[in-house]
Amino acid sequence: MRIILFVFVLLAFVQNLFASEIKKQAEKSISGIFGKDKTLTFKKFALPKDTKNNIEKKVQQQFFAQEVYTWKITQKDSVCGFAILDNVLGKALPITFLVVFDAKGSILSTEIVKYREAYGGQISEKGWNLKFIGKNANSTFVVGKDVDGISGATISVISVTKGIEKLSLLIQEIKTKL
Amino acid sequence: MNLTLKLTLLSSLVVTTSVFAEDEFFTPKTTVGGYGELHYNYEKKDGSDATKILDFHRFVTFFSHSWTEKWSFKSEVELEHNFVEGAAEKGELELEQAYVNYHCNESFGFQAGVVLASIGLINEYHEPPTFLSVERSDYNNKIIPTTWFGNGIAFYGRKSGFDYKFTVMEGLDGKKISASKGIRDGRQKGFKSNAEDFLYNARLDYTGFSGLRVGTSFSFNDATVGKDTTNSVSILELHAKYEANDVYTVFEVANITYGDKDLAGVETSFGYYLDFGYNFGTFLKTEAKIIPWLRFEDYNTAKKAATEAVEKANHYTNWKVGVSVKPIESVVFKVDYGVKKQESTKTKTKQMNLGVGYQF
Repeated sequence: MRIILFVFVLLAFVQNLFASEIKKQAEKSISGIFGKDKTLTFKKFALPKDTKNNIEKKVQQQFFAQEVYTWKITQKDSVCGFAILDNVLGKALPITFLVVFDAKGSILSTEIVKYREAYGGQISEKGWNLKFIGKNANSTFVVGKDVDGISGATISVISVTKGIEKLSLLIQEIKTKL
Repeated sequence: MNLTLKLTLLSSLVVTTSVFAEDEFFTPKTTVGGYGELHYNYEKKDGSDATKILDFHRFVTFFSHSWTEKWSFKSEVELEHNFVEGAAEKGELELEQAYVNYHCNESFGFQAGVVLASIGLINEYHEPPTFLSVERSDYNNKIIPTTWFGNGIAFYGRKSGFDYKFTVMEGLDGKKISASKGIRDGRQKGFKSNAEDFLYNARLDYTGFSGLRVGTSFSFNDATVGKDTTNSVSILELHAKYEANDVYTVFEVANITYGDKDLAGVETSFGYYLDFGYNFGTFLKTEAKIIPWLRFEDYNTAKKAATEAVEKANHYTNWKVGVSVKPIESVVFKVDYGVKKQESTKTKTKQMNLGVGYQF
């Protein structure tokens, strides 16, 4: 009996070990922006149905799942910012990306945390991601105008741009709930 | 601990490690994509009657399956000209891509099956919303024939803004290389390919500057002509594309050298084209993109040939203007007008094309 229990504990440990890699990478990026002295409060945030539907309708892209990973970044009692990790579907596989916001909901940074496709990996380049800095829920996100196109990564560019726009709208709705 | 329990523990660990080596967002999945384009082509050559064609030029489906994050299958099936009935004139059904993909990480992966030669901008990325004209440029027909696919294997990766691909695939059919068509008819298209002599193709791009892709490729093949005869083909090609801040510019140039001019009657092929477009949708305060554009191209499939007459006969220049309208990023309406000139006789061919294309 003790051995079976041991097996289950070990399995849970192994699962956790792999499952948390992306989360760890995201938290490293967030700390890189705000500094290691800040407190990161993680929450798997279940998307409210109405909020989800309204944003999907506006951006014309569905959320990848019913929940997103969120962080609230604080120092003592003051809020420094927020971060949301989400996925969009590329040509065939999910693209995992992180958007970091200031306390008012303007973008401080975007980052492709994991790209799984053979083509289109250029969206991970820092230069492409710089175009999103300063954008918020009232900004436009038009590829070729506000956001650069990438030859050979058309579907990924469209998909991730819409994903970032969705999170910019979402943060305005949920920041008081994090 | 008895043996059964030990084995149970070990096998459980192996299975669990294997299952959870994927991250929490990946699930095995089959996906479908595609693109297509309907064209209206009007053409009037000096001294000839005009021709008018309405053609659903390409209908393409992508079908792929991902078993794990690293192992997947990708395919692209293309129906050209809507209808297939044996003879080439009745259309073509082509398996342009069908490969097993191992994506180890960002810097290394490989594909094995029917793969694309990594030459130029259009061969690998040719969905209608990605280029401005209704038809692909003449350069991408006469000099670098697209779509160029074949049986083989490719290694690829990306590191510090550089993107590389090295492909070994079926070679060209040396018997079908000609002064008037260059290497176009030499593609074996994966049909029971002669595997005597492979094509080696290496491409390096830089994409570290946002909006820009600039790169070069070199390809070599001892194209089989007869049992003990080959015609060596070397292709050196440069390409650049910039699409940002409402600007769309493209430049491609290539030189092909043939080792034995007596075999095909041609020693070199050469060509280039330049596109410049600007999105006026921003001025008009619409999210739709309205891109007027201009193209110039110059190409000669027999830049150096056995006789001067052959060299002159295959030299063309081509001016083209057009407008490309994208109401959304994945749908495009196009119109263009151009004059192609055969440089020795000065014979002009006027072309007007309309098109609608999509991708998903």
